[in-house]
Amino acid sequence: MMKKAVIGLRQQYLPYALGFSALGIVGMFLPLASVGGKSVSVLSGVLAAFSGGSPFSWLLPAAAALAIASLALGIQNVFRPTVAGARIWVLAAALNAAAMTVLLFAGKSVVDGLGLLPGSFMVRNFGAGYWLMLAASFILLVLVMRAAKLNVGYIVLTILAIIWLFPILWIFLTALRKETGYYVGYFIPRGFTLDNFVNLFNNASVLPFGRWYVNTLIVAGCGCLINAAIILSVAFVLSRTRFKGRTTFMKILMIIGMFPGFMSMLAVYNILKGLGLNQSLLALIVVGAAGAAMGYHVCKGFFDTIPKALDEAATLDGASRWQIFTRITIPLSKPIAIYTLLTNFLGAWSDYIFPSMLFGDQQSNYTVAVGLYWMTDFRRIDSYYTQFAAGALVVALPIVILFICLQRFYVEGLSGSVKG
Amino acid sequence: MATKKNPPARSEKNGLISVFRRGDIFTRLSFIIFGAANMAHKQIIKGTVYLVIEAAYIVYMAVGGVHNLIMLTTLGTRQQGMAFNEATGIVEMVQGDNSMLILLWGVVTCVLTFAMIALWIVQIYSGDLARRTEAEGKKPLTFVQDVRELFDSHIYRLLLAIPVAGLLVFTVMPLIYMILMAFTNYDQTHQPPGNLFTWVGLENFRALISSGADLSATFWPVLGWTIVWGFVATFSCYFGGMILAMIINSKGIRGKKIWRTIFVITMAIPSFISLLVVRTMLGDKGIINVLLQQLGFTSGALPFLTDVTWARCTVIIVNLWVGIPVTMLMVTGILMNIPDDLYESARIDGASPVMQFVKITFPYMWFITTPYLISNLIGNFNNFGVIYFLTGGAPSSLQYYKGAGKTDLLVTWLYKLTRDSKDFNLAATIGIVIFVISAAFSLYSYSRSKSMQEEESFQ
Repeated sequence: MMKKAVIGLRQQYLPYALGFSALGIVGMFLPLASVGGKSVSVLSGVLAAFSGGSPFSWLLPAAAALAIASLALGIQNVFRPTVAGARIWVLAAALNAAAMTVLLFAGKSVVDGLGLLPGSFMVRNFGAGYWLMLAASFILLVLVMRAAKLNVGYIVLTILAIIWLFPILWIFLTALRKETGYYVGYFIPRGFTLDNFVNLFNNASVLPFGRWYVNTLIVAGCGCLINAAIILSVAFVLSRTRFKGRTTFMKILMIIGMFPGFMSMLAVYNILKGLGLNQSLLALIVVGAAGAAMGYHVCKGFFDTIPKALDEAATLDGASRWQIFTRITIPLSKPIAIYTLLTNFLGAWSDYIFPSMLFGDQQSNYTVAVGLYWMTDFRRIDSYYTQFAAGALVVALPIVILFICLQRFYVEGLSGSVKG
Repeated sequence: MATKKNPPARSEKNGLISVFRRGDIFTRLSFIIFGAANMAHKQIIKGTVYLVIEAAYIVYMAVGGVHNLIMLTTLGTRQQGMAFNEATGIVEMVQGDNSMLILLWGVVTCVLTFAMIALWIVQIYSGDLARRTEAEGKKPLTFVQDVRELFDSHIYRLLLAIPVAGLLVFTVMPLIYMILMAFTNYDQTHQPPGNLFTWVGLENFRALISSGADLSATFWPVLGWTIVWGFVATFSCYFGGMILAMIINSKGIRGKKIWRTIFVITMAIPSFISLLVVRTMLGDKGIINVLLQQLGFTSGALPFLTDVTWARCTVIIVNLWVGIPVTMLMVTGILMNIPDDLYESARIDGASPVMQFVKITFPYMWFITTPYLISNLIGNFNNFGVIYFLTGGAPSSLQYYKGAGKTDLLVTWLYKLTRDSKDFNLAATIGIVIFVISAAFSLYSYSRSKSMQEEESFQ
């Protein structure tokens, strides 16, 4: 049977693929679903679809047609294997698997929509035929992809990507939803609107979201600049200079870092009260900056890799340590400086614990994290859910853009922290 | 040029006592009067600054400091209450002692005192240095030169001044305060200013571990769940991320950057947002339950966040959603560093992809990422966000101490004790327990990385 080998194909997989394709066809003759003793086959479903029903009911004929098409392509490929033919077979098999998967979720609409069975259909009512077709379609896809030398990883990645993006899609749809309220019995909104975004920043609204947003911008903006300055200087001193008590200092920082950070919130609160700073945004910046030094590790790790010879050469030329720091080390550390700025901005942007403790009921000073959490309280979620979704998008979007642009630096910093 | 910066020869012993012995009258005087030696050896400004600080400290101690330290022993004795005022002839409110403020000011005074001791030592050496420089026939550094040195050989003083001050005021001092609180009875029934609280020794630890009926019935299960959670969350994300990274990096996958970006998006969204969103999705009336029922998967709402076992599984799975992209991104860099010829020779020897993973990829990753894993483990023990935003510790349990729930970790319980029930003594005690756990794992990690440094390289 096997003729000469075709380059770009693993022909040994083709017969097996054909076998599973045939198995899928066998599944079409087994019961598709059964409720209370009465069962239907795929064939009767297909026939019913032609006589009318919801758009979903075309799924069944489509799946059946794809299964037959992929069998035909399979026969063609086994007897006359070509790369192009195998690619087309992959396409058919992929569509077939996708259709079978969608059918899993749309089964209720299809079966109930066509009125094929008495009573309400549940997924567990699917019969042997359906499960056989589903399994066969996926095994077929894997085999054909192997035969065509395509990476099977695409299947896994596609499924994972859908899972990962599902909540994001949901929050997008909710933010654009016209009907307010938490509970809606459907996924795709009945009406679309931008009012949720407008209301969020509307002065007449009860929620001072615009204020929260500005608060957070101020805190995160100032905070990340100050924190980065502190972290860079501490890392520089600990990496490039030697002085008495250096290792002791590092050990003390390590020990302090092992206590849960917010354990001492109460004391910090009282100290801030003593300084007259409680309930102000300045307090957030000050407290953030005060603890910043503990995050020096990644930065120090980076500085350690800059050759010492550079410093020595500069010293011979009469440069002071300060000049080495500002003219040599910092310019050489752009990636790590950006990483530090980015992580500190993110940290301040999404900090919840301390602002929530500090501001209590004083809404005008909330940051977005506290504000959004406040909106999802079960007493308010019904009235604010769509606005919450809009707010979440408005808060997340700048960060996502920033993050994707600066991803390279983040990865560098992250891999630096691994070596830590 | 370089010799100028060297301090005078250090042949002599450098302890405080030998400094006292060999010093002149001013050096000895500087043991009592700050800056005396500096002033005598032409460092007038520096000496004056030392002296002014000492004077300020003495004034502070005289005005309130000593009183603060004395009060620290009892944490206050006069309780706020009603008393008959003979002068006005009416019963009026009498301000009592505020134990919390007493403790706070006591700590402040202690920290100030330690700072003074440090300064005392610093100025003695500084004065001695000035004396020795002059004895060698050189001029001691002027104030302006001292300031200039701050930008050069003493740059650590300049750059560390603000961070250290910040740490002292907002981290170290509060930490000491809270650690001390673990040894008091500052709980719901002893709230200042109405009530006093006082020292109770190790009573809180004993209550937590064994004697407090509902307390120890909460502590041990919460501790157990914290540890289970830490390990499961860390390793599931680790392997998940590694597998994802390997799939994306494998040959024949096109658009690697796009795939990576899809997963990175979820990582870029601040986690409190994604977690809050997921929580609203998983509620009884959330979209997941709605869809599951509508599509015919279940007939009733699934108790994702309300049943103990369900909730515990849910937080672990949602944590995968949050954590896998992070690991994926981290692992990607390391995977690219694995020498390609290792795989090449493995393929020639006929090793299957699974064998390649078991024999090459995994040992290599494990070798490099152990420190990361341990810090990640500690991070997960203290993973406040995932638990607090997803379940808030729910479902709560009647067997537990008020407010604590079945998915609460030690940290979220600590937060609840601080914020809701105001049992600050218990919160502080739990904080110390968390510290002990973190320290134990860190020590293990530290000793491991030491041994790893001695190893030649990955074989």
